[in-house]
Amino acid sequence: MTDNQVAISIQKVDFYYGAYHALRNINFDINAKKVTAMIGPSGCGKSTLLRMLNRMYDLYPNQYAKGNILFDDVNILDKDIDLNILRSRIGMVFQKPTPFSMSIYENIAFGIKLYERPSSARIQEKIETALRQVALWDEVKDRLHRSALGLSGGQQQRLCIARALAVEPEVLLLDEPTSALDPISTAKIEELLDILKEKYTIVLVTHNLQQAARCADNVAFFYSGGLIEVNDAATLFTKPAQAKTHDYITGRFG
Amino acid sequence: MLLKQAGYRKDKKIIPYLFTSLMWCGGALIFLIFLGLIFELFWQGKQAFSVFGFHFITSTDWNPGEQQFSAGAALVGTLVSSCIGVVLALPLSFGCAYCLNELMPQRFSKYITASIQLLAAIPSIILGMWGFFILVPLMSQYVQPFLKNIFGNVPYIELLFSGGTYGIGILTAGLILAIMITPFITAIMQESFANTPVMLKESAYSLGATRWEVMHQVIVPWVQKGVVGGVVLGWGRALGETMAVTFVIGNAHHASWSLFMPSNTIASLIALEFSESAAGSLKMSSLMALGAVLMVISFVVLFCSQLLLKQVLKSR
Repeated sequence: MTDNQVAISIQKVDFYYGAYHALRNINFDINAKKVTAMIGPSGCGKSTLLRMLNRMYDLYPNQYAKGNILFDDVNILDKDIDLNILRSRIGMVFQKPTPFSMSIYENIAFGIKLYERPSSARIQEKIETALRQVALWDEVKDRLHRSALGLSGGQQQRLCIARALAVEPEVLLLDEPTSALDPISTAKIEELLDILKEKYTIVLVTHNLQQAARCADNVAFFYSGGLIEVNDAATLFTKPAQAKTHDYITGRFG
Repeated sequence: MLLKQAGYRKDKKIIPYLFTSLMWCGGALIFLIFLGLIFELFWQGKQAFSVFGFHFITSTDWNPGEQQFSAGAALVGTLVSSCIGVVLALPLSFGCAYCLNELMPQRFSKYITASIQLLAAIPSIILGMWGFFILVPLMSQYVQPFLKNIFGNVPYIELLFSGGTYGIGILTAGLILAIMITPFITAIMQESFANTPVMLKESAYSLGATRWEVMHQVIVPWVQKGVVGGVVLGWGRALGETMAVTFVIGNAHHASWSLFMPSNTIASLIALEFSESAAGSLKMSSLMALGAVLMVISFVVLFCSQLLLKQVLKSR
């Protein structure tokens, strides 16, 4: 993994849900403009780590973190970080499509208008760019002002990605983005990741090992709150260094 | 054929049959009681409706000496006091529900939720007495003079706040009603806040939205239905509320623009006059007719809100 630029550096990170110690001493770097997949059995802490990267856990009073996560040389776990700006630079997409009950247009404009008050022509332009990035423009350009809830699940999820991209983040966090989608929609989103990584750093949590193998440049394997192994995808899936990793990817557990 | 064998466990057929019939009876009984109620009110009120005709609704005369009865004044009193109640309770309930569900740590909010629900259990006569002894003096000494100071010289609006500051009147009744219906509206709103999908909220936060932006652009549209439902329930209660209102509204048979003037609601008028009306008299019939009018208003409120709700839901 030489000559890669580090986008996010995770250093000695611990995470607690109240008294429960969910993540222990996590250290690894997330490379810029690559897809990094986090895999592991349910409850291993991979989603927890993802939610630390945009401080989503901050919404809940009993959850807290220790350690450093450096993004742009700033520790984003610091108390005085402006969460709104952090989240505008690190976008997120969830397990299920979460369109707001507004029109397609308004869904994307929502994010844009949080940061600026552009002219409507400028908004239109940004919306088109965002929708083209997720290959949704041609499908929805004639019904931009209709409810986003009328789209199919796969279209809704691509809309959610477009909504996150419209804010122009540097990093995109994807929390099992295809777990609620059919295989065709899943394939479309996976294709999308290949294109998006030219512009964005992507962190993908997935239960689907094939997906990790297909899409990811680097893979991190988590098990019961610890990071077991992180490597480039080809190495991790063909020559895992740890016995646990080997057991997991060959289907012995999880 | 095994499948058509006769006599095989007859009770398997009888018990479901009995059960279904019982359920049907239960459902039908409610409907019959409902029809019976309406019929009885209109039947008993028939005399008043035929003597006064449409004037029963539009006129504000109430003069037992001359056998003059009408619903106008009480109708206005009912609508205005309940509207004041709803208008005051709505922001209060919304604030309570939002604060309890979204802002406050659960270890505090569960106690406050419980106490708000206890408020709903206070008998209305207690609130009436409390209103009369505590709220009325406060209104007459502080609130009403204050409102008069602010709005007393504003054209048209001054009409609403004209008259003496006696404490009793429509405004005070509306305030008591607001206190009474707040627990109901809050409970329904809390329910819909709790039903807002966590992921939906998180995805708004993940775009960098602030609490305020998430609330008014994501949560409020989501809870709209619950808000309307809560308002309807609260308004329905406010329309029919009797005892607490009777204590503080002043019971005067006239309608005026001023919110400080004593007035009447349909429910309080019936409660006060019922024992003084002879069976079969025109007055008794008028009271029954008043009951029928109240019921019609409740239906109209319910119907309109359903319509409104459909419109709101269709537009999105």
